Amino acid sequence: MRQKLRSPSRLGWWLALFLPLALAAPCALAGDLKLEALLVWGTNDARSPDPDHKPVGADLLKKLRSFPLKWTNYFEVNRQQLAVPSAGAKRTSLSKECEILVKNTGSGELELVIFGKGQRVGHIKQALPKGELLVTGGNAPNFTAWFVVLRQVD
Amino acid sequence: MNNDQELKLQAFLDGELPARERPAVADWLAADAEARALQQEWALTRSALAGGEPPRPLPESREFYWSKIQREILRGEKAGARAAARRAVPWWRRLLVPTAGLAVLTLGLSVALNYWPPGRQPHVVETALADSGAFTYRDLKEGITLVWLSYPADSGLADDAGADIIE
Repeated sequence: MRQKLRSPSRLGWWLALFLPLALAAPCALAGDLKLEALLVWGTNDARSPDPDHKPVGADLLKKLRSFPLKWTNYFEVNRQQLAVPSAGAKRTSLSKECEILVKNTGSGELELVIFGKGQRVGHIKQALPKGELLVTGGNAPNFTAWFVVLRQVD
Repeated sequence: MNNDQELKLQAFLDGELPARERPAVADWLAADAEARALQQEWALTRSALAGGEPPRPLPESREFYWSKIQREILRGEKAGARAAARRAVPWWRRLLVPTAGLAVLTLGLSVALNYWPPGRQPHVVETALADSGAFTYRDLKEGITLVWLSYPADSGLADDAGADIIE
């Protein structure tokens, strides 16, 4: 009888060890959304005429090439880090003409608003778990393309 | 008739009165109508109890009937022992198990939300665009979403690539 009574309490002790973790997890999830935004130029040219442009990383290149698009080379034009608070928003400029506004809904989704020359040209709302990419693109002069790549960072 | 007389009369009726007292009580009965009436009432009561009680047959065997009673007694004893054991455990330890259960539930929910957030299902991309040339491509395996906008195709800043965007 004594052993039977002791077992649930011992189980409770072990389970109680998870209490701080369990209480901390939702807080962690509801914290700042740390993002990285890249402005990428897509072209079929092997080199960019702008010496400040550098080729995107191998992993990103592989993913961009997996898209059903006609461009083969991608160059990083700008890179910005954003920390968007829960239920908050951050606006940042990626180029002279391109701005983005990122809203953290606080419920696991984000909203991306893209502005071109100050005009709102796109609004995307979706979840963006770590390791996933949200790529927005459009045509650019000389049969090239622009891309805004958004991903979570640690 | 007082209480002692009633007791003596009852003992006479039950055959428990000593032999030396019986003649005196018999004489008293012969002479006192109230005593006779009381004796007759008791005799009727006795016969009613002896022969008038209806039989109560058991619906099961005697052994089974008593084993049920025994089980109920043992169950009551165990319940009492458990209640005593619960009283012996401090209140904060009694709260430990439900609190820990709640913690595990919260943890599980947090993990589930982390790995399967509400908007992770397909068709979560909500694109609010003015142009009809936009499209969305999603690779669930790679975890990548492409939203293609026609901007600024109609603004003169880009070539009118049109349909040859796709390979």
